[in-house]
Amino acid sequence: MARPIKVVMAKLGLDIHWRGVYLVSQFLRDAGMDVVYIGNKFPEQIVEAAMQEDADVVGMSTLGGNHLTLGLKTVDLLGKSDMAGVKVFMGGVIPPKHIPQLLDGGVHKVYGPDTPMETIINGIKDSVSV
Amino acid sequence: MDELLEKAFGGDTLSIARLISKVERRDPESHEVMRRIYPRAGKAYYLGITGPPGAGKSTLVDRLTRKFCEDGFSVGIIAVDPSSPFSGGALLGDRIRMNIKRKPEWDIFFRSMSAGKIVGGLSETTKEAARILDACGKDVIIVETVGVGQSELDIAGATDTVLVVLVPESGDSVQIMKAGLMEIADVFAVNKSDRSGAETIAESIGTMLERRSTFYKTKWVPRVFLVAAMRNWGINELYEGIRKHRTHLQNDSHLENRRKTQLKVELRRLVEKEIVRLVWQRLNETELGDQLVNDIWEHRLDPESAALEITAGVKMV
Amino acid sequence: MGREESKKDVCLFSREQLDTIKSGYDDWFNNVLKDNDRQDELSGQYTTHSGIPIRMLHTPADIAGIDYSEDLGFPGCAPYVRGVYPNMYRGRPFTLRQLAGLGAPEDCNLRVKYLLGHGATGVNILFDLPTIRGYNSDDPEAEGNVGHCGAAVDSIWDIDAFFKDIDLGAISTSVVTHLPSTSIVIPGMYFAVAEQRGTSRDKIAGTCQNDFIMETCVGSGPEILPPPVSFRLQCDVVEYVCENYPRFNPISYNGYNLREAGTDAVQEVAIAISNAIATAEELIRRGMDVDQFAPRMSFFWDLHNDFFEEIAKCRASRKVWYKIVHDRFGAKNPKSALMRFHVQTAGVTLPATEPLNNVARSAIQGLAAVFGGCQSLHIDSYDEAYSAPTEEAALVSLRTQQIIQSETGVINTVDPLAGSYYVEYLTEQMINRIFDYIKQIEELGGLVKAVEDGWLHREIANYNLKYQKKIETGEMKIVGVNYFRSEDSSTQEIEVFEYPETYTRQKAKLDRLRKERSQQKVNECLKVLRDKCHTDENLYPFTMEAVKNLVTLGEIEELFRDEFGLWTFPLIS
Repeated sequence: MARPIKVVMAKLGLDIHWRGVYLVSQFLRDAGMDVVYIGNKFPEQIVEAAMQEDADVVGMSTLGGNHLTLGLKTVDLLGKSDMAGVKVFMGGVIPPKHIPQLLDGGVHKVYGPDTPMETIINGIKDSVSV
Repeated sequence: MDELLEKAFGGDTLSIARLISKVERRDPESHEVMRRIYPRAGKAYYLGITGPPGAGKSTLVDRLTRKFCEDGFSVGIIAVDPSSPFSGGALLGDRIRMNIKRKPEWDIFFRSMSAGKIVGGLSETTKEAARILDACGKDVIIVETVGVGQSELDIAGATDTVLVVLVPESGDSVQIMKAGLMEIADVFAVNKSDRSGAETIAESIGTMLERRSTFYKTKWVPRVFLVAAMRNWGINELYEGIRKHRTHLQNDSHLENRRKTQLKVELRRLVEKEIVRLVWQRLNETELGDQLVNDIWEHRLDPESAALEITAGVKMV
Repeated sequence: MGREESKKDVCLFSREQLDTIKSGYDDWFNNVLKDNDRQDELSGQYTTHSGIPIRMLHTPADIAGIDYSEDLGFPGCAPYVRGVYPNMYRGRPFTLRQLAGLGAPEDCNLRVKYLLGHGATGVNILFDLPTIRGYNSDDPEAEGNVGHCGAAVDSIWDIDAFFKDIDLGAISTSVVTHLPSTSIVIPGMYFAVAEQRGTSRDKIAGTCQNDFIMETCVGSGPEILPPPVSFRLQCDVVEYVCENYPRFNPISYNGYNLREAGTDAVQEVAIAISNAIATAEELIRRGMDVDQFAPRMSFFWDLHNDFFEEIAKCRASRKVWYKIVHDRFGAKNPKSALMRFHVQTAGVTLPATEPLNNVARSAIQGLAAVFGGCQSLHIDSYDEAYSAPTEEAALVSLRTQQIIQSETGVINTVDPLAGSYYVEYLTEQMINRIFDYIKQIEELGGLVKAVEDGWLHREIANYNLKYQKKIETGEMKIVGVNYFRSEDSSTQEIEVFEYPETYTRQKAKLDRLRKERSQQKVNECLKVLRDKCHTDENLYPFTMEAVKNLVTLGEIEELFRDEFGLWTFPLIS
């Protein structure tokens, strides 16, 4: 029997802006997903949460410029922990020119500011059903 | 499955997590999982924590987990939160309180669960998840649920010690008694006790508990602890209080009796469930069900007689 | 307070005139307006952003009860609705305060000189996230954030480098520390540098942001001090700075970031003022007189899109503050009741899509700030949604301010929108609503408790959800994003400043610092500070002594986290 899509949502590292990540979490909840909101966490802690929760999706939000460092490190650690199947989504303030690097590094999708919630919800649903 | 179980028994985090997912989603293999798990379970100590929303349960779980870890125990935590009645989804936030300043050698497995979509009932799934953690070597299992309605009774049926967490704003002892918390609590904590009213509520609960224990002649009189988890006040005392209950359980076969009572209830529920399932399956295969409903509708037959007729059929199965 | 106190129901206009206007309005409404338009008005669907009902047409009838002398008064006079100074911008144009802070302090030094060289009269110094949240640049938790979005500051050496060759006695500096726990350290570094350079204390001008709401509600963080502790440090800073630095404002109640995090205009002002009330009560409890600290409190507002409501908010906030300081706390010094505020335009309104449109948005918001009578202004840069401003974008912002100040003529008369039926109506509504919200917070047991209980987080989350749903449904229009969206309205590539070498530089500096300083002195300072945490004493002198002895920001913060414990905000679902 199906379980709701399980998403671990984190604020990456020290970034202090919780508005966006929390809003997205609420919208995902309202779209029927189980969202484990873990607050500000670092890569090792995010991976640990993803493992223990057996998450389908990891969402990371950052407006603090640590997407290439901590963001990619998280993806890398997920792979090393036998969690390569988990889809990683990133959101926040990420310069367009960094997006290819993130995607190459294994991030599934990057959603910048102004992304409609529906796009995010559908993006997650599609990624999991594939 | 063999590999998954083997790795889980070896303490592999991901394998444990995936076993839990199997029972969460009622995977066809879930019964097999539980069958294989069960012989190894039973060693852990099960602590249930319940109380109204906003009582600071997850902070308290974090503080108590630290204490258990400092004493060298490994800890498995299952935190259950309600889900949205509209979408069925849930926003699970208990984990936000974990991980702060944790020592790397501490062995903690934390799992969030939403109450809504749990197939087959909250109590069974949490119980099974707890048993998986137990079988995979966690010494202490903490189950945290929001105390609304049924879940605190479930928690009482699945744990060795029940800690009920209240706050000074929780109301007077009459309300607490009405909520059924007196019946299930082995230990009480009044959290946020740096606020006014904490001592009053603690005293009135204490008096009530003593009277209750005298009346029922129970050996264990639950104590009320004043704590402020956020400020780390009273945590050591509460922890000792919980340990004391554990020691109490180990004397005079209290633990055995408690668990056997719980098992009997569990068994009964499972049998009931299975019988009902079988009967309805059979009814749906024949036209008897519709026929009987029709008879009842037309007042040719009363509902109880109809039920007897159905169960008479079951006896033949 | 507010309206019900006013004894007369007709003040500004004669009763006769008013009756004529009222019947004229009815006539207009029933006979001139077309049916559709009348239906549109009767639907009651028009409100300001914060929900104040708006009529299609406001008339003298809406403000007939205003008593000019009591309710509006003259600029520089109670209740200060029309401005805090008699001649306002004629005498003292608003300070053009632009942000500076990126990379290492040495980089910032160049930016500050650049801005001062182009006519800026003050600087806002921004810090990177590790600094804001109290971690040294070489702390593992700082990884990936050093020098991004602001300057890295680890020790007094960094403040010295930041202001190299700049006379600290000649500028006014806003030290954007946000949190009380860092406000008790970083401005202390600034004071200590000034002292080393021989600048006298009475010449040191500026503000620090020091707001426990920032520490506990607005920003999230992996490690947060409990609200009562953060509040105590906030009060320590106010007390110490008031007593020692006559021209430095120890607190800027940060409505801005609260608004950006998710509140409306009413909540923004009411929560900030509630914090000021809580501070005042605590400082009075500590034995201070309201006139010692109230003149030194300043506020920080966010100027959002709803043009007239924002102007009304600024005007209203002055009167609310006056009423509280004067009527409630009994201040005698007129300066105590002056609500002086800095404004920043609303970063949250600036999308990444078609970023140049943001020049227009910010200019309009900046204009509202000037109509609202702000004391200093920062206009957000069009690349707000990408990073801290690039040099080009920062210059456009500065130029926008200069255009408002020098070309439009809006500063030549004081409070030019006064007397507008609509603006006066909104101002009065704002005042009443702000007072109501303050009362609600007090009924919850005060702001510190409301924060501890998660009430404020719930308010923020509820607001955001409501607001976002309006954007999703298109009820709230954002040009270029969900309204008039171009086919290829892809985001524009904007040069983002990167300072990858900041980490290495800061790390090297820290290594050198640790070698050169007297470890014994450091240990002594930390020991004293640790002990003082558990007393009622003001901690400022001890953090100040520590930074002078080259104790780092991270070391002091670590000590606080150890001694006071950590808090996580209650999750609201």
